[in-house]
Amino acid sequence: MNLPTLESINLLAVLPVLIVFGWTLVLLVIDLFIPSGRKYWTAWLGILGLLGAAVALAVRFIDARGAAVTAFDGMLTVDGFSLFLQAIFILTAVIGILLALDFLPRHKIERGEYYILLLFTTGGMMIMSMAADLIVVFLALELLSIPLYILTGFARPRADSEEAAMKYFLLGAFASGFLVFGIALTYGGTGTTSLVGVFNQLAEGEPSRDLALVGMALILVGFGFKVAAVPFHMWTPDVYQGAPTPVTAFMSVGAKAGGFAALMRILIVAMPAVGEAWGMLVAILAMLTMILGNVVAIAQRNIKRMLAYSSIAHAGYILVAVSAAQRPEDAPLAVSAAIFYLLTYAFTNLGAFGVVLAVEREDGSGNLLEDFAGLGRSKPVLAAIMTLFMLSLTGMPVSAGLVGKFFVFQAAINASVGNPWILAAAIVGIVTSVISAFYYIRIILIMYMQEGEPQVVLKPALTVALALTALATLILGIIPAPVFQLAKDALLTLVG
Amino acid sequence: MIPLHWFLLVAAGMFCLGLFGVLIRRNVVAILMSIELMLNAVNLNLVAFWRYLAPEHINGQMFAVFVFAVAAAEVSVGLALIISIYRNRDDVNAGDLNLLKW
Amino acid sequence: MSLTPLHAIFALMSLFTVGGAVGVVLNRNLIYAAMYLVLSLFGIAGLFILLEAPFLAAVQILVYVGAISVLITITVMVTRCVFCKEPPPRQLTLVAVMAALVMVTLGFVIMTRFGGLTPAADVPADSIEQLGVAFVNPQAYLVPFEVASILLLGALIGAIFIARDDLPRDEEAVGGDDHA
Repeated sequence: MNLPTLESINLLAVLPVLIVFGWTLVLLVIDLFIPSGRKYWTAWLGILGLLGAAVALAVRFIDARGAAVTAFDGMLTVDGFSLFLQAIFILTAVIGILLALDFLPRHKIERGEYYILLLFTTGGMMIMSMAADLIVVFLALELLSIPLYILTGFARPRADSEEAAMKYFLLGAFASGFLVFGIALTYGGTGTTSLVGVFNQLAEGEPSRDLALVGMALILVGFGFKVAAVPFHMWTPDVYQGAPTPVTAFMSVGAKAGGFAALMRILIVAMPAVGEAWGMLVAILAMLTMILGNVVAIAQRNIKRMLAYSSIAHAGYILVAVSAAQRPEDAPLAVSAAIFYLLTYAFTNLGAFGVVLAVEREDGSGNLLEDFAGLGRSKPVLAAIMTLFMLSLTGMPVSAGLVGKFFVFQAAINASVGNPWILAAAIVGIVTSVISAFYYIRIILIMYMQEGEPQVVLKPALTVALALTALATLILGIIPAPVFQLAKDALLTLVG
Repeated sequence: MIPLHWFLLVAAGMFCLGLFGVLIRRNVVAILMSIELMLNAVNLNLVAFWRYLAPEHINGQMFAVFVFAVAAAEVSVGLALIISIYRNRDDVNAGDLNLLKW
Repeated sequence: MSLTPLHAIFALMSLFTVGGAVGVVLNRNLIYAAMYLVLSLFGIAGLFILLEAPFLAAVQILVYVGAISVLITITVMVTRCVFCKEPPPRQLTLVAVMAALVMVTLGFVIMTRFGGLTPAADVPADSIEQLGVAFVNPQAYLVPFEVASILLLGALIGAIFIARDDLPRDEEAVGGDDHA
């Protein structure tokens, strides 16, 4: 047996995630000594750890200059793609904690475990973006999911929160059953679980292709549940509505981005040999997802449910980009469009949920569209920010959403030469974007045109979170070029 | 020895039964048991592939052990949720839900 | 192909496995379903032995038959659902057709790719030792091993948090001792 060398383990490359896990374990002990009622200390310490991880990430980014390396002998890949996504996860977690800081005591569910579990799932997402072995993908997905099931039920004994957790848990476990069965078949077909190995086997054109195809389809089903793609979306509205709002905000962004991270790495890096097959499947899923998400969102009266369907619809737009990456020559542009879209969606959606949080009342009511009536008069700044987020979700000018959508459709149309499925998905995407304007702009109209007395509670942490997300949405909308350049340089690579 | 496909067919049958069970059952404990069937089918698949295709590499067995760990984690969280829901409802049918409701 | 005792054992274990699975899925009495689950899991352990993976067979018995099944049975009893029957299933035909389709696809792929395959090599004598070393070898499976350990810790904290009976009335009693 060869002794491992420091180069092959490459601890420095995975330092951010080590910081997150290590700090969380320390925090778990510190939290015991923090008196209940002062759990915001845990929260701030958690943010401190995340900032530490962010610094390590930045150092790594400057050091590596986009060069991809493996860590632990090919178990993890640290490339531009994973660094970019890890940045998204850390940002999401910081804002997720800020959103929860006032919410938890206000709803009398303040506990240190909240922040610990949130950090665990963030670590799971970070591993997910680096996983270069199907075993690691599976375990990271579970590490991402299981704390989220519990966070969904965090407002227990409130019935809707518990039932949402139950539903999320059962469908999540069901989905991982599919995923891991698909992984097992892929292993059977190719004899390996490492993505490099799968790539090599499939490139040889083995008879294992059939088996890997079935495996790929099952993996797609598994991830379809995680990212809430139609027809695997049925849990989304109930879970988003029942979960405590900061959890909904966090998982609508984090779980989706984590799912897409691993899905893209598996499909694009390991399975380009069957790209035509999965490209078509993903394009069909994308079309169904965009149509159903946007159309059903119109009928919703509850803002959390509406944003749930909106989040389904946005999964569809990202799927368009994934489908556009089916040919290796188109993949770089499509992948950068997808991760840029995830970034814009992260800011916008976290911000939108932040406003929902401000309007929500202690007893959990205040989530109906009517509850936003009169916001434009009583809280003009908050209403303006909400308007910005809604415009960004629609894809209107001067907002991050437009730029994200533009890059996705550009990548799709670029890749659609000789591939009608991608073209169809892009057209459906543009049409449904127009449809989506209906329900997003309705909120703006309600805020400014209808009379009402919304009860707004705006505490400092929430204000900071809203300011951050609104500023980022605006900046990404006006000068997207530098960040998009980063996304373009963030290559998804095969190293092993 | 017994040909590989027999093991794989048993595993596939078990997986499909689990799939069937998850979608038709209404009681959460029953759904959870069906999910366990699916995970066991995966393990049978993995071990069979390991034995017939590459017994000299340990990764098939290794994967099966990780599936055990995940199954244990899932069951503990799932049962905790069930007990919590039951305690707060005190209703025998509290655990019933229909996953296919859209 | 001549029939050997191995075939008979395989047939019996498969019968346990699949028959038990049918029982789990169809029996509307939860405690019976849990017993069928034990049977099915036991059958899997037998198949593991036929596949020359005795360690996994032992783990299967200890973890699944010994721990998980007992947990499930206890839950059924605690929720007083011993004799309760769930409402009749919905969408039976649709789901049955779907499951059958998946089965046919899987069966077709398995038969075309692996029909009649026999083992390529013998199991190395030190396979259990290999397994143990690979877990803690940074060049092998250290990363998944550590991720799994954090996953179990997270599940532990979560399960305690969810199942603990600390509704607001006894807030004082629990205090800061959150992870006890």
